[in-house]
Amino acid sequence: MMKTFSIGGIHPNDSKISKDCKIEVLPVPSKVFISVAQHLGAPATPIVKAGDQVKAGQVIAEPAGFISAYVHSSVSGTVKSVGPRKDLAGNNMTHIEIDVEGDEWAEGIDLSDTLVTEIPEDNKAILEKIKLNGVVGLGGATFPAHVKLCPPPGKKADCLILNGAECEPYLTSDYRIMLERSKEIVVGAAIMKQVLGGCPAVIGIEENKPEAIAAMSAAVAELQKTAKGYDGISVMTLKKKYPQGGEKQLIDAVMGRQVKSMGLPIDVGAVVQNVATSLAVYEAVQKNMPLVTNVMTITGDCLPMEKQHNYKFRIGMPLSYVAEVAGGVPEQAAKIISGGPMMGKAIANLDATTVKGSSSLLYLTAEQTVRGVESACIRCGKCAEACPMGLEPFLLNKYARNNMMDELEENAIQDCIECGCCLYSCPANIPLLDIIRLAKGDVIRIIRGRSAK
Amino acid sequence: MTTTIIWTIAILTVLGAVLAVVLYIVAEKFKVEEDPRIDEVEKVLPGANCGGCGQAGCRAFAQFCVESLPELDKCFCPVGGNDGMQKVAAVLGVEVAAKEPQVAVVRCNGSCENRPRTNEYGGYQSCRVKASLYSGDTGCSFGCLGCGDCVAACQFGAISMDPATGLPVVDEEKCTACGACVKACPKNIIELRNKGRRNMRVFVSCVNKDKGAVARKACKAACIGCGKCAKVCPFEAITVENNVAYIDFTKCKLCKKCVAECPTGAIHAVNFPVVKPKPEAAPAPKPAEVPAAETVKKEE
Amino acid sequence: MEKLLVSPSPHLHTKTSTKSLMRDVVIALLPAVVVSVLFYGWSELLVLGVSVASCVLLEFLITKYLLKKPCTVCDWSAVVTGVLLALNLPATTPWWVVFIGAVVAIGVAKMTFGGLGQNLFNPAIVGRVFLLISFPTYMTDWTRPQGFIGGGIDGFSGATALGVAKEGGVAAIEGLDYMDMLFMNIGGSAGELSALALIAGFIYLLARKVIRPYITLSILATVAVFSGIFWLINPAEYTDPIFNLLTGGLLLGSIFMATDYVTSPMSNMGGVVFGIGIGLITMLIRYFGAYPEGVSFAILIMNSVVPLLNKWFHAKKYGRA
Repeated sequence: MMKTFSIGGIHPNDSKISKDCKIEVLPVPSKVFISVAQHLGAPATPIVKAGDQVKAGQVIAEPAGFISAYVHSSVSGTVKSVGPRKDLAGNNMTHIEIDVEGDEWAEGIDLSDTLVTEIPEDNKAILEKIKLNGVVGLGGATFPAHVKLCPPPGKKADCLILNGAECEPYLTSDYRIMLERSKEIVVGAAIMKQVLGGCPAVIGIEENKPEAIAAMSAAVAELQKTAKGYDGISVMTLKKKYPQGGEKQLIDAVMGRQVKSMGLPIDVGAVVQNVATSLAVYEAVQKNMPLVTNVMTITGDCLPMEKQHNYKFRIGMPLSYVAEVAGGVPEQAAKIISGGPMMGKAIANLDATTVKGSSSLLYLTAEQTVRGVESACIRCGKCAEACPMGLEPFLLNKYARNNMMDELEENAIQDCIECGCCLYSCPANIPLLDIIRLAKGDVIRIIRGRSAK
Repeated sequence: MTTTIIWTIAILTVLGAVLAVVLYIVAEKFKVEEDPRIDEVEKVLPGANCGGCGQAGCRAFAQFCVESLPELDKCFCPVGGNDGMQKVAAVLGVEVAAKEPQVAVVRCNGSCENRPRTNEYGGYQSCRVKASLYSGDTGCSFGCLGCGDCVAACQFGAISMDPATGLPVVDEEKCTACGACVKACPKNIIELRNKGRRNMRVFVSCVNKDKGAVARKACKAACIGCGKCAKVCPFEAITVENNVAYIDFTKCKLCKKCVAECPTGAIHAVNFPVVKPKPEAAPAPKPAEVPAAETVKKEE
Repeated sequence: MEKLLVSPSPHLHTKTSTKSLMRDVVIALLPAVVVSVLFYGWSELLVLGVSVASCVLLEFLITKYLLKKPCTVCDWSAVVTGVLLALNLPATTPWWVVFIGAVVAIGVAKMTFGGLGQNLFNPAIVGRVFLLISFPTYMTDWTRPQGFIGGGIDGFSGATALGVAKEGGVAAIEGLDYMDMLFMNIGGSAGELSALALIAGFIYLLARKVIRPYITLSILATVAVFSGIFWLINPAEYTDPIFNLLTGGLLLGSIFMATDYVTSPMSNMGGVVFGIGIGLITMLIRYFGAYPEGVSFAILIMNSVVPLLNKWFHAKKYGRA
């Protein structure tokens, strides 16, 4: 019996059209714009100014606070400017503009393909490397990785869960790296597991990716045979259900434990990292390579097969440039999404640039994505059936529209993970999540304000 | 038959009497002591329960007034206005200083024509939802989002959306300056300004903090922070900060020099009598440079 | 590509809509409709036609001219009410009585509460109960009109099996074949004819995930258990469980009416309690009440408890054991 999370969930068509497209390296454009806000938390502080020469892999912005991250240059060249530029959502954010000259990398970075399986012993040094190389979680939230790998005092990790579920439809970047970089991912997992004190590590992959399951299992078996420190790593096949890749859902599926409301995964002894993060950890620790590249999927039903891609990109590339190289924006595309169709962000501005957490350019047609006209709630309960947190979106919607904050809190709106299952499944096209997301923010502010007192 | 009626009447009478006594005792025992002046004050309040005073409703405001005695400086009911506060003061037997009457002013001129749409918004029609998602469906990330949260927030029906411009319009007659729309606007575009002499007002109808070129590219009528208005103002009422000008309504003397000077027409003067074209005493701006200088504009 | 569309996530939507759900209910009702038309012939067609047409027309007129809301005719909900109402009436019902039923169902039970999604009581049942109380003669006339197929069953041409049992006790229904009930050879209103046709609809609804099985199954289980206990105690006085499950409007009510989204509880647990309530009240009326059949009343009574059930029973939340 395959495992999955216990409450709710939906089964959208998985549409992994680009799954057989090998990872290609995206050529470097003549100019990049590197955002200082590529992670959750405070935007980093730029430490270069116009006119400075930078090499690829060199630090160009430093963390500003505990939850923040280093940002490195992805190219070599001259800094043209440091100033505001519109991000994905069209809001101003500081970007560092670099004119590309050659492709020279900073000292100490191992650019070779050789697999390094021997894990350094000093955990402190490992964590420092992860931090200095700007590794953040690549599963969506871009939470600084080193923070998550240092459990607060008194808490111990019982299990490291590697998220290879890739439950979002269309996305195939994680799938590709699991096929093409499987050993590196396993080494990354072994490193993180060692840092966490040697707890077991489980790589959770959904059943719809049998090749990835086979590749990862083979990589684990081989490394366990040939190198030290790889015991206790296993691959777990999960039943296909969205949002399996949600942190809380994955913990429920793999460990059978549930994180308490407003709690953290470490409270139940879990640390969840994406497989792409694991790869970044490998690169950072074993190769001293900062996080300046990642893999993104260019896909959509309206794209012909030859224009479907999985690209290894560098941060700071304008999305319009990526789209152009991939073969242009298709005529039928009504909406372009960065990320998956369930939780990704619609792009308002194609001049925005790639960031560490970029995972896709997804083209959706009007027919696929235009919302229907909202009609009356028929109280069918499909939203409640779908909610993986066991909430009652129809109820929260009513309370939120009437600003009933106490009732919203009583009904656990703060537990919402914004997975979109409710809005997806509502037959009356009620914008449930739009409204709930906003009210959730308000309620969390109220709760924080109360505990601050 | 008659006995039944008599019995019924008797039982009911006794029952009534006993319950009356019980009720009286309970009412006496659990009586809540309340300042009788609160009732008095509440009677002279408008009863709109709009929350414009910062309290939860009219009764709460009445209580707040009584509690803050002997001074009423912090209490102001925008709906009742100065007349209303005089009545409250009279009830409480104190003096209260008159406040300048105010009105809500929409500081965005990004009509569909001035500010072309760059994308289409397809989510829930709410400014707050839209603002939390992204900068908006135009090149300007500061301007009006046009979903009408202010219209929904107004309890007096004083705001409506103009379908032609896509911007909210304030009905000055109905506006009570309660400030609900100011709170509702996620972009902080709406401001309460003094009504001004004979309702005449001059204000910058833009809050765009982008640099001039960026702002102008997004919207023809944007304030580009050039500072010409600040220079020409004889009363130092205008400050330019973060690439956007602001006119202090307490200092503005309604001379309208800035209106003529503004190269983008971002400064609006409303409710001024229509002047026939005649040479003005002030140093006249080169008329050719003023684009479609509608110096007299009905407030939008 | 003109202007890009931007909206909050999610960017995909299920194909299921209010319209498709309601249409599925109509499709699920088709077997029962076909059986009743075959069995009762033209007069049943007339009842169905009048009922559906007047429900749709009334919905259209009221939403457009009285409520001034967006028209909800296209979502098929009025068709569902119309078909259900027709299946709840004897085939001999005069057209004007059917029309009055539709007025009460749509006009009173649905629209006065604010239209689709707002009504407290199931419109079709309100219509039926109104007619049952106002026009008892028409509503209990089970004379069988000439159908397109099938022969008559002499003993039951004038009353339903439940009616006979009520009048004459258990002895009166001896010789009644369960197989007849399962297929279509028992008297009653159109929708009570064939248990098999209704069960086919139930399976379709479950397969299409239109309804969840909790309410229906808990009603049936309650009826079976309740009647089972009484029947074991005194089989001479009380009818047996299978008879109770297959006769009357129980299947129609438990599959199509009690599961109506708007008037049933949201949570599964609430649904189970709701179903137990309906089952109990139904059996109390059947065994001890004045009416031979009580499903309609049971559903109406439990409809009124739904807000309470929604308050008491909530879905199980993640991480809040």
